[in-house]
Amino acid sequence: MNEILAEFLRGYTATNQWLAILPEILLALLALSLLAVEMASPKAARAQVGRVAFYGQLFILAVCLIGCFTGPATTGAEPLFSGMIEQSGTTQFMRVFFLLCSLFVSYLGGIYLERQPLARTEFHHLVLLVAAGMMLLVQSAHFVMLFVALETVTVAFYVLVAYGRNSVGSLEAGLKYLIMGALSSAILLFGIVLLYGVAGNPALAASSSDSLQYSALAEFISLHDGNLLVRLGALLVVAGICFKIGAVPFQIWVPDVYQGAPTPVTSFLAVASKAAGFVVLLQLVQGPFAGLGALLVPVLSIVAAVTILFGNCAAVVQGNLKRLMGLSGIAHAGYLLLGVIAVASGVAWAEGAVLFYLFTYLLGSFAVFAVMTFAAGTDDTDQQISHYQDFAKEQPFLGGVLAIGLGSLAGIPPLGGFIGKLFLFIAAFQAGLYGLLGVAILGVVISIYYYFGWIREAFFSHYNETVPTKTAILPSMRDRLLLGFLAAASLLLGLYPAALSLLP
Amino acid sequence: MTVGINAFLLVAGWLFAIGLLGVLLRKNTLVIYMSLELMLNAVNLALVAFSRYNNTMDGNLFVFFIITVAAAEVAVGLAIIVALYRRRQTVLVNELNSLSR
Repeated sequence: MNEILAEFLRGYTATNQWLAILPEILLALLALSLLAVEMASPKAARAQVGRVAFYGQLFILAVCLIGCFTGPATTGAEPLFSGMIEQSGTTQFMRVFFLLCSLFVSYLGGIYLERQPLARTEFHHLVLLVAAGMMLLVQSAHFVMLFVALETVTVAFYVLVAYGRNSVGSLEAGLKYLIMGALSSAILLFGIVLLYGVAGNPALAASSSDSLQYSALAEFISLHDGNLLVRLGALLVVAGICFKIGAVPFQIWVPDVYQGAPTPVTSFLAVASKAAGFVVLLQLVQGPFAGLGALLVPVLSIVAAVTILFGNCAAVVQGNLKRLMGLSGIAHAGYLLLGVIAVASGVAWAEGAVLFYLFTYLLGSFAVFAVMTFAAGTDDTDQQISHYQDFAKEQPFLGGVLAIGLGSLAGIPPLGGFIGKLFLFIAAFQAGLYGLLGVAILGVVISIYYYFGWIREAFFSHYNETVPTKTAILPSMRDRLLLGFLAAASLLLGLYPAALSLLP
Repeated sequence: MTVGINAFLLVAGWLFAIGLLGVLLRKNTLVIYMSLELMLNAVNLALVAFSRYNNTMDGNLFVFFIITVAAAEVAVGLAIIVALYRRRQTVLVNELNSLSR
């Protein structure tokens, strides 16, 4: 009996790979411990929960960074847990990316929750779970893993979007996100099932008994790229992901949900959720769907062109800032699709360009959303451009950060967003997507108009003598440090792009 | 006479289409919700059929994950619908238009 036990334990330790997902485990433990802290501490000390969450995440970020630099060589993809998870340089980068996102969201959430009569602990708890789910999502190499991680993220997001229970807007946004999210999950699932069924069919060549695994599927699809079920399945999977990244024609939920959700959650959706969708899309295009380039490149090209034009044109006439950020986010999804199409048509380094763009998008977006969180009144869904009249005069620091963030999003030369767009456009040029490139440049020109409309309102609007009611909170020293970091990083990446060594 | 895989796929496809149309066309949130569940069950049916005819167990396993996730989704969804009903006294999507103005 003892020998059997010893044998079992030896086998267990030989295949013990839990350390590979240490950051995710730590995040989940931190999320649970927040609930314990809330239960154990007296009511007066509950404000500490946000602090525990923030410093806990800083610690996990350090663990993650140490793992990146001292861990095993991250050149090739490394299968773990019998092919459920694969780690590579890209996934390590994205883990740090998602941790940074959740750090900012926790911080902004603390500021938002100070003004709202809502529970605090659950907010931080859910943000941590979403971050852990996204980190697993980008590492998954198996469709079951992909689905479970995706749903962990999505279900937690339903609650976060509807978190402002005292506001009708937030609840409505939650319901809309719920219906659209569940619909996209069902479409994604149907695609997965078709692929599973056809790739597992023993009558066909290269069929696999493990046909939900990416590499087995890639082998099958490269032989059967004309099969109707394969094509339909791949299109349905891509459509399901297009819902998550908000590409036309699956963008209908974006403006309403972005407006209704609490501002920190909006920023989380805009940056982290979109980034997760793009990394999954990149992995699919390079992995299982690599043989389907002839089908996916034209389809994605049309989607990208319409997405860029729709997002920019709809944003021009928008007065509500949260909807404006949502619509301009659709346009950014269109630019990022350019990089994905370049990867699908054989320009491998475009993956680095997409990741670089995502990082500059993180810095720019969080700078803007942070300013919006400070400037928002008690009604979080109602943030108009006209509220920013004389903003820079009253709050010169916030005004400066806003200008740098918006400039980076618009792609103005000394800032990071410009370099990000440049890399993407060069990749598209090398892939021979000239028509698409023209549409993208037209889109950028349009976007400068509405981004600068906002900057003009904040800096040069002296036409009205009556001073509007001041609702903005003055940022403390710590807030200034964080915002300054975001602005400085945007500037640094613009002047010295090699600081982020993503490109060969 | 044995039933072929195509029969199962046809039924699954019909169920999925009915669910999709229900989500797109119906006005009552609860009916939309039922349609979403119908789509997930269409997926489950196709999975089990493929699993049986391909002689692999992955499909059956996947069904359990889908059922669990669907239950979690319903729990959250009904909570949101109840909270919304308390505020607005309606669950019809064409009356839920406080945003987009």
